[in-house]
Amino acid sequence: MKFQSRRAFLKELGLSTAVLPLVMHLPSLGFAADAKIRKQRLIVMFSPNGIVPKTFWPDEVGDKFELKEIMQPLKPYQDQMLVIKGIADRVRGDGDSHMRGMSCLLTGIELLPGNIQGGSHTPAGWASGNSIDQEIKRFLQSQPETRTRFGSLEFGVNVPHRADPWTRMVYAGSNKPIAPIDDPYQMFEKIYGQMKDRKSLASILDDVREDLKKVSTKLSSEDRLLLEEHESYVRQMEQELKVSQEQKLSVEVPIQDVGIKNDNDHMPVTSKMQIDLMVNALANDMARVATLQYTNSVGQARMKWLGIDDGHHGLSHKPDNDQDAQDKLTKINTWFCEQLAYLVGKLDKTPEPNGEGTMLDNTLVVWTNELGKGNSHTLNDVPLVLVGNGLNFKMGRSLQFKEVAHNRLLMSLAHAMGYHVKTFGNPNFCGDGILSELT
Amino acid sequence: MIASQQHPLFRFQLTAACLLWGFCYFGYQSTGTAAETKPPTGEQIYRKLCTQCHATNGQGVKDKANPFHGMKTLVELTTLIEETMPEEDPEICQGKDAEQAARYVFQQFFSKDAGAASEMARVQLSHLTVRQYLFTTSDLLSNFLGTARITTPEHGLRAEYFSSRNFQGDKRVEKRIDPVVNFQFGDKAPVEKIKDAAEFSMKWEGSVLPEETGDYEFILKTENGARLWVNESEPIIDEWVSSQGREKEHKATIRLLAGKPYTLKLHVFKFKEKSSSVVLEWKPPHQAQEVIPQRNLTTQQVPGTFISATVFPPDDSVSGYERGTAVSKSWDEATTTAAIEIMTTVMKHLDRVAGTKPDDKERDKKIRQFCHRFAELAFRRPLTDDQKAFFVDQHFQESEAPELAVKRVILLVLKSPRFLYTDREYAVLDDFAIASRLSYGLWDSLPDRQLLDAAKAGRLKTPAQVAQQAERMLKDPRAQSKLRYFFHHWLQFDEKEELSKDKTLFPDFDELVVSDLRTSLDLFIDEVVWNGSSDYRQLLLADYVFLNERLAKVYDVKLPAGQDYQKVTLDKDKRAGVITHPYLMANFAYHNLSSPIHRGVFVTRRLLGRTLKPPPQETEFKDGDFKPDMSTREKVALITSPSACMSCHSIINPLGFSLEHFDAIGRYREQEVQKPINTAAELISVTGETVKFNGARDLAEHIAGDRHAHAAFVDQLFHQAAKQPINAYGENIRDKLTTQFEKSGYNIQLLLIEIMKVAALYQPHS
Repeated sequence: MKFQSRRAFLKELGLSTAVLPLVMHLPSLGFAADAKIRKQRLIVMFSPNGIVPKTFWPDEVGDKFELKEIMQPLKPYQDQMLVIKGIADRVRGDGDSHMRGMSCLLTGIELLPGNIQGGSHTPAGWASGNSIDQEIKRFLQSQPETRTRFGSLEFGVNVPHRADPWTRMVYAGSNKPIAPIDDPYQMFEKIYGQMKDRKSLASILDDVREDLKKVSTKLSSEDRLLLEEHESYVRQMEQELKVSQEQKLSVEVPIQDVGIKNDNDHMPVTSKMQIDLMVNALANDMARVATLQYTNSVGQARMKWLGIDDGHHGLSHKPDNDQDAQDKLTKINTWFCEQLAYLVGKLDKTPEPNGEGTMLDNTLVVWTNELGKGNSHTLNDVPLVLVGNGLNFKMGRSLQFKEVAHNRLLMSLAHAMGYHVKTFGNPNFCGDGILSELT
Repeated sequence: MIASQQHPLFRFQLTAACLLWGFCYFGYQSTGTAAETKPPTGEQIYRKLCTQCHATNGQGVKDKANPFHGMKTLVELTTLIEETMPEEDPEICQGKDAEQAARYVFQQFFSKDAGAASEMARVQLSHLTVRQYLFTTSDLLSNFLGTARITTPEHGLRAEYFSSRNFQGDKRVEKRIDPVVNFQFGDKAPVEKIKDAAEFSMKWEGSVLPEETGDYEFILKTENGARLWVNESEPIIDEWVSSQGREKEHKATIRLLAGKPYTLKLHVFKFKEKSSSVVLEWKPPHQAQEVIPQRNLTTQQVPGTFISATVFPPDDSVSGYERGTAVSKSWDEATTTAAIEIMTTVMKHLDRVAGTKPDDKERDKKIRQFCHRFAELAFRRPLTDDQKAFFVDQHFQESEAPELAVKRVILLVLKSPRFLYTDREYAVLDDFAIASRLSYGLWDSLPDRQLLDAAKAGRLKTPAQVAQQAERMLKDPRAQSKLRYFFHHWLQFDEKEELSKDKTLFPDFDELVVSDLRTSLDLFIDEVVWNGSSDYRQLLLADYVFLNERLAKVYDVKLPAGQDYQKVTLDKDKRAGVITHPYLMANFAYHNLSSPIHRGVFVTRRLLGRTLKPPPQETEFKDGDFKPDMSTREKVALITSPSACMSCHSIINPLGFSLEHFDAIGRYREQEVQKPINTAAELISVTGETVKFNGARDLAEHIAGDRHAHAAFVDQLFHQAAKQPINAYGENIRDKLTTQFEKSGYNIQLLLIEIMKVAALYQPHS
């Protein structure tokens, strides 16, 4: 029985492939990619509800700039950072700013009319086009030398279990949102489940055979023949498993703590688990593109571990002169920046498997947000912090633009990954093409 | 049948082609010239006539025959050889020759020890059939996740209507039972109390009751935001956002097991879309897509049920019924895939199934107890101390999380022959083995708590105790589901892929009608078997059918008001139970003509239990080859007239001709090609008498009174229940059960109980 045909069969039946467990003749997981070709990777990290401009944006432009409070955790990587101010999400149409901020962030195209009403403006549906990460994935998967098992992995942290334009930023196409997986155990299953299952299975097959032998002794000689045949298949499976286990991973599968609840209060733990898993999966070349979505647009994380009991979105509506709220928002965003720093640090500490330098040398992490500022709901000055040398941008700088459409930044990401799109999203916003200032 | 790989003849296609008996020549002349020579020995006959397919050593020749395995008595084997062997020309091996050949095969291959010959058909080690595996694993997990049971007789779904888009409690304006979900609200509000048609929401909740096991497609048609849950805690359809350009038809397929309810919830909201509509349809296995009928909906919700989605290879059904007597690599792999699937489910709910919490101090202990219980239930018996250590305790190690141990335990248990096989021979038959035989016999699943308790208390030893349990078990929906499965097999529902007819001749006969006919026949069988006297003869003789409005139109009956199926008399005095049920009549027919041959073969084999040899070659029945004014009967008589055909067609044709009043869709007719229908027929019975009958009712009366037919029914029911050959249980068992059956007033339920007494208490070494 072949994995493919079996999966195709299940698909025909309409059965979810999620229930598809281990199947014996799984083709090689493709761990050993060609070492000669550099593996470029892109990670997009999202946090919601805007930032605090005063404590976020550096005042200076150029390669000499001071990191403000929120970005302090990135201090060790300042020379590998690019802070970009002045990029605007200029997509208009149906949906309120949060919805468009979220669902147009990576798609750069209008939402379709629909039945979901935001806090203001007209109701809307899903984005009408795919997101840049999926476009780049499609490109990478179309070529054998950049093709990986998953192409892309969509991580989340404490994302509510509902599908609407506030909870989805990744789109496979018009009307085709992709849900992030926010449960680290579920993500682990997706990436390594089959391997783990094989390991559990391999460890009991000796016992299965012993059991078959024991039962055999109580049977008539004719019936024993049937069990002998049965045993021969178990033996075959044992041998096949042995062969498949000789495929080695570049880095060991991470060991997860068990029993961690996937809820608000455990965000600090699940965040680390997801990052560990992401870096691990990328090191094992399961994908070249990844996204990491913290909660959702209008997300109400309550960061009690920082001494903040208020919901994040609620706080973000408070006026600028509410110093207490501003301080809390600064703390919240600093926490997000710490997560980014943890991710970057992890990439920096992991040597590039079968290659030169560290993973950070071949990865670009983009930290972004659906709004410039929470209380004004502006889509100007979309927060953008880029870290890592994966896309050959000239790092260690602070850049400032004036209301440049974010479609051009999205295009720049594709170009830097070797994919020369002419436009992306709504072509009206792609005017002067990629941002030459990045390189 | 013995080891032939030739398949039963009539797996026909719905073209105007079929298999017919043809000529063939075989150069063996035995009885004709026997006057001068010594009669040949069994061995000589075997060498001359049988080795081509069965090989000298009886091991069979690839693609022609399997190795012999004994399941027939000497008398049966002789009859079989007379009637069907050699396949090229059964006429040449008759009488003494057949007996000699049978004796040789019997002694040589059925048994190395000729003295033990009578014991040759035996209870064989069998693994769970696919059906058994699905029900077993589902019920196994229900022990921990909760059992889905319906206690309300109320059909339909509980509906709630809200004047807001988000189901706000204080905005609920109406609560009622909706029989089905099939609404076109247009630009209007769904109920009067909702004033603003731009914004509202609705909930429908309850359970769905499937009648067949298999893959169900759910089709939700709405332009509004909607979520549909079936059985699972996550929606199977999540279309909350109705953006422009989104499909308005949403589909999801899940596997369901018959006889169990599954929670169904449908939530829909409208906000400023131009219109609103909600239609909830399904496409059950073998049936047409339609709005989920009220009959299949109830207002009660139930716990979720585990159902394996693993695809198993089909079971061996060479013996005429599915049984687990063959293993293969793909079967072994499927058992692994399913074991991992179950393991994943257990791991997902580990704290729930083990009755513990993440911070419970006793968690490890409780998890280990869960493992013991899981193994016990899976093995259908208590564990010995050695088994506890082997299957459970050795896997728990101090240094590891208990989760890892659970994984290994579940896999080991589900890969164990103690779980996978039934009918293992034990030195001493114990109460737990009896409990298993009962539950697999009547439910195709593992014993429930009452059975296990009875076994534990030693209350499963006597025929009376077994009968008492069997009687209780027959009331369970699983028994009804298993019997329905038996009847589908008996009436050959399961052998036909698609039933369709000539659109110009039968414009009304669409797939919905086919689907309804199948339901109609199911309802008829249920009525006979479960209501009243459970009289087998009523299956053949009852003159009513169940029709709904759609069927009533096609079969020209005026129905009293009311939409659902009603018991009505159709063509007074002309119909005879299942024999003339339009579904069967249409099934055994061409797309434009009736088929006396298909009908005759069905009656011969399934109802009368007589053997027919496979047709030696294919002959096409081409309608165009005949003169246009010939009746179907005349055409069949003409092409089967050669004497080589008549050895079988002398049986088949009269049986088929007596059903000629029913056309290709089973409608009653008086004429064909402007000639009156002729149903007069004569048949030589097994005992050699000539039986005359005229029409379906005559035929039905003949079958209802024929002991051979009764025995055939006993045989087939026995085989589906026990999944073992009846002959293995002693030479006279068939006879004894048949007599009991006749004396009980042909009570099918009582027959099943008698069968269970025999099968459950059977002791191989006694």
